[in-house]
This record gives sequence, structure tokens and C-alpha cells, in this order.
Amino acid sequence: MLNHPVIKFIRRFYRGNTAAVLGSLIVATVIIMSMCASLIAENEPNKRVARGHQPPSTELLLGSTRSGKDVFSQVLHGGRISLLVAFGAATITTIIAVVVGISAGYFGGRVDEFLMSFTNIILVFPQLPLLIILAAFLGQVGPLVITLIIGLSSWAWGARVIRSQTMAIRNKEFILAAEVMGESKWRIIFVEILPNLISIVVGGAMGTCIYALMAEAGLEFLGLGDPTIITWGTMLFWAQSNAAFVVGAWWDMVVPGAAIAIFGGGLALLNMSIDQISNPKLKTGAYIKTWRRMKAKVDMQRAQS
Amino acid sequence: MSFVARRFVFYFVAIMVAITFNFIMPRLMPGDPVAAIFASAQGRMPLETLQAYKEMLGFVDGPLWVQYFRYLKSIFTWDLGPTIMLYPLPVTELLAVKVPWTFGLAGMSTLISVTIGLLIGTYASYHRGGLTDRFMPGFWAFVSAMPQPVTALFVFFLLALSWKWFPLSYGANPDLEPGWTLGYISSVLHHSVLPILCMVLGGIGAWIFNMRNAMINVLGEDYITMAKAKGLSNRRIMTHYAARNALLPVVTAVSMQVGFVMAGAIFIETVFNYPGVGLLLFKALGARDYPTMQACFLLIVVFVLVANFIADLLYLWLDPRLRN
Repeated sequence: MLNHPVIKFIRRFYRGNTAAVLGSLIVATVIIMSMCASLIAENEPNKRVARGHQPPSTELLLGSTRSGKDVFSQVLHGGRISLLVAFGAATITTIIAVVVGISAGYFGGRVDEFLMSFTNIILVFPQLPLLIILAAFLGQVGPLVITLIIGLSSWAWGARVIRSQTMAIRNKEFILAAEVMGESKWRIIFVEILPNLISIVVGGAMGTCIYALMAEAGLEFLGLGDPTIITWGTMLFWAQSNAAFVVGAWWDMVVPGAAIAIFGGGLALLNMSIDQISNPKLKTGAYIKTWRRMKAKVDMQRAQS
Repeated sequence: MSFVARRFVFYFVAIMVAITFNFIMPRLMPGDPVAAIFASAQGRMPLETLQAYKEMLGFVDGPLWVQYFRYLKSIFTWDLGPTIMLYPLPVTELLAVKVPWTFGLAGMSTLISVTIGLLIGTYASYHRGGLTDRFMPGFWAFVSAMPQPVTALFVFFLLALSWKWFPLSYGANPDLEPGWTLGYISSVLHHSVLPILCMVLGGIGAWIFNMRNAMINVLGEDYITMAKAKGLSNRRIMTHYAARNALLPVVTAVSMQVGFVMAGAIFIETVFNYPGVGLLLFKALGARDYPTMQACFLLIVVFVLVANFIADLLYLWLDPRLRN
């Protein structure tokens, strides 16, 4: 069981990699806590349970909002929707990026030219301002619409990275062999090429997750989201419009802010470690130490002989 | 076609796409957009201006392509109509006052994050396994994953509100007379420190990563080994041999960065009540001032495209293979 290749791979991934361990712990904790929100938090997120702006205490772990709602319960429940938006948008983005990137890279020629000129134009636009204008014209947008507009607008960078990797793989022997054997193009794309791109695709998906989390928080902070739905972004929006900092209710602002920052940071650490799978040269820390030790040994042996 | 000409055509197409986006958006809105604009002015606008707005947005009688060309004409003659929130002030005049503030913030912060980011990235990759290499990437990965409104709010809370090191809002002390006086300029600088700090915190991570990754790829090349064999100093190899070549892929990532900085300006200026384009856009969103919103968007797009064009020229300078 312990020698199963998947377990081996996981152990190799985490060994000596503090960033990966820390990132996974943070991400897993946040996901589990928001999934079990109604078990952990005693109070309903929308129920008035105390007077407004009560500081954190043993009863209200993270204090209350201006309208007297439990911040702890809100941040757990809000996390659910914020995480769903981030993962949903990342899924949409990844699917589009994979399809566009592999098609452009594999088919080349006209297809490549058409897809890439389109991709480059989207890429050159400032994404967030574009989202802001879209949301402003659509009127107060709910989480579903936010997921869709982020997902549909932010695949360009991923598509370009996947395309260049596909082009690097396209002329390898195993692809040529599959072509000679007469395998269908779609089989070659999904069975032969895609598995070789997994680390880039997963890394890209995590990057988009971070971006979607940021974009959602940003849109809602500006008041473009639906303020009646509790998410980390709308919590920030309410705290900001109630001038939480100025009246001294720092917890109202710091709690959702820290939730986004910690989860995003966890994803970023994990993402960094995944980058190191696709490009082992980027590794640092323990790997370099191991390498130095091995080099010293070899040098010593050489000196002796 | 030369490289520059091709890029120029590309940016022209991109601007046309942005203008077309602006043209289509009001037409996708449920209901009559001009009526909605008029309603959001809440009686501050006389009835005659309704017609002017229709023309500005291209809502004239005739088929869609006539409307489209009418709209293009108003954009290229820089006639963006009056604002709604500060009626009858023209949008262009309002923008002209705000642009220098944002331009200053974006320019200064980009300069700072590029310089420090590239230095840290180069240093970390050249001294693999050292302290900088081991802790900087992780630390900055964490910091740059923070949404800009959150960074801005935390900086605001700590440095401006709690410790009172820097002012809470405005671009300069409102009691001072604007002008080229020492007092006013130092006030402007003092007020810009925190917004610039926030932009640097958000942007610097990407430069460090890109530079480190690019450097690591370059450092494996044979010409680096050759340079070492020739006995050149470490510093010379690091800067003249490795960094210059590593800059190429870094420059291509500039488009993402400038867009990110401009988006950050919206949040940061909102938090610090800084009188730039970002705060203007935020206020326009609140007032449902669509003409101002669209003008801000167009301006941000143009700004990003110009920055990209500059990056292209820089690329040309760095990579002699592109010159012909």
C-alpha cells in the first residue's frame, strides 16, 4: 500500500517542502471549516444575536457586525459561496484554456493564428476593469453571474501557456507514433497530450482560483455584488460602508480580509510547489541542501582517487 | 511588416474592440439605457440633454452601423458628453483633472516594484538555496495573493489610522494652495506614500517570480559556464550575461502587470480617498454615471495598451534578433 505510485508521489511532493505542507494545511482547513459552517458556528449568519459592533469575546468569538450579526458565523458561511465562486470560475477558465490552448498548439496553422490573435487581444485588456464595467451594466450581480463572467473572461493567459507546452510536445516521438497508428485527433489530444500537461493545467487552475477570489472580493467590495448574500466580499463591503475601521470595529473588517488573505496565500504556496513539479529547476531549500551534500561527496571521492 | 508596425496594428485592433465593447454594453442593458441614465441624474439634467446623450451614445435613427459610426465619431473627436454626477461638467474635463494623480501613483509604484523585484529575483536565483532564495518567493507568494482592497485596508488601518504615520485621505493637504511650492509638493508626496506602498505590495511578487524563473532557466545555459570559465566577476555574469537575457520573458509579462496596477488603483484610491481615475470610477459606479464609467474604462485600456507598446519597444532594444 505504501509503495503505491500515487502515495509515493505524494510523499515525494511534500518531503522537505515546507511551502507545500503549509499551503495544503491552510487550504484544507479553510475548505473543511466552511463546509462544516453550520456545525461549527452556533448562530445563524443572518440572525441578530447581539448589539451592534461588539468586540470579540468568549461568547462571540470574532465579535458582531454593525447590525449585530455573528462575524464568526458569517465568515464561515460566507466562505462557502466565496470558495464556490473561486472554484467554479477556475473550472470554467481551465476548460476553456485547455481546449483553446491544446487546439492552437496541436493543429497549428490557421487554427493557431485565429485562436491566438483572439487570445492575445483578450490578454491585453485589463481584466478587472473589464469585469467591473460588465458588472455595473448588468446591475447588482449574484455569485453565479460573478462566477460566469470571471470564468469566461480570464482564460487567455492559461491558453497561451498550454499552447506553448503543447507545441513543445507535439513533435515528440510518442505523438508521431500515435498519428502513424491512425489514432483519432481527439484521442491524441486528450489521452496522449493532456496527461503531460497536468502540472501546468493544475497550476494554472490554482492561479485562476486566487485571481477569482480576488476579483470576486474586489467586485463585491465596490458594491457591484448582491449585498444580501453573505460572502467574504460582501462582508468587506458592509464593513467598509459602515466605516468599521473609523468607529473602531476593526474585527468587522479584519476577519473577512484575513480569511481571503490566508486562503489566497495558502493557494499561492501550494501553487508555487506545483510549479516546481513541472519545472524542477525552480526548487529551493532542502533540495539544494541535498544537492550540495551529494556534490561534496562526489568531490571528495574524486579527490581521493 | 516590421515588428513595430505589426504591434501597432494589433493595438489599434485592441482599441477598436474596447470601443465596440463600450458601444454594445448600453444596448445589452435591460430597458432604455438613455432613460436609465436620465433617471440616475435625478432631475439635475434638463430635458434637452437627453437628445445630446442619445447622439453621444450613438442612439440615432438608422441602422446599427450608422449608430456605430456615429459613436466612433464622438469617441475620436474626444466628445464624451457631460457627466451625470457633476452635470454639466464634460467627462473629458473631469478626467483631465484626475489623470495626473493616477498616472503618478501607477508610474512611481511600477518603477519601484520593477527595480526591487528584479533585483531580488536576480539575487535569489544567482544565490540558489540562500536565505533570499528560500524565503522571499514563499513570502511574496503569500503577500501578492492578498486582494488589493484587503492590502489597502490593512495598510490604511495600521499605518494611517492606528499609528498615524501617514494621512488618511486626499491627494494633498486640502488647506494648501495647489502650486509648485515646496509645501504643496511635499504634502503631495506624503499623501502618495501609502497608496504607492499598497500598489508595490501587490505588484512586486510577480516581478520577483518571473525574474527568478527566467534567471534559473538562463543560468543553465552554456554561455554562463563559458563566462565563468573566462574568470569574469560574479557580478558581471549576473547582470550582463544572465539578467539581460532573463529580462526577455519578464518584459512579455508586463501587460498583465500594468492591468493589475490599474485595477489596484480603483481599490486603493477608494480606500485612501485619493483623487484619481480609480476613485472617479468608484464614484461613477455609485452614481450609475455610465458615460463617466465608460470613459474611465476606455482610459484605463488606452493606458494599458500604451504601456504594452512601450514594453514592445523595450523588447526590441533587448533582443537584437527582432530588429531588421
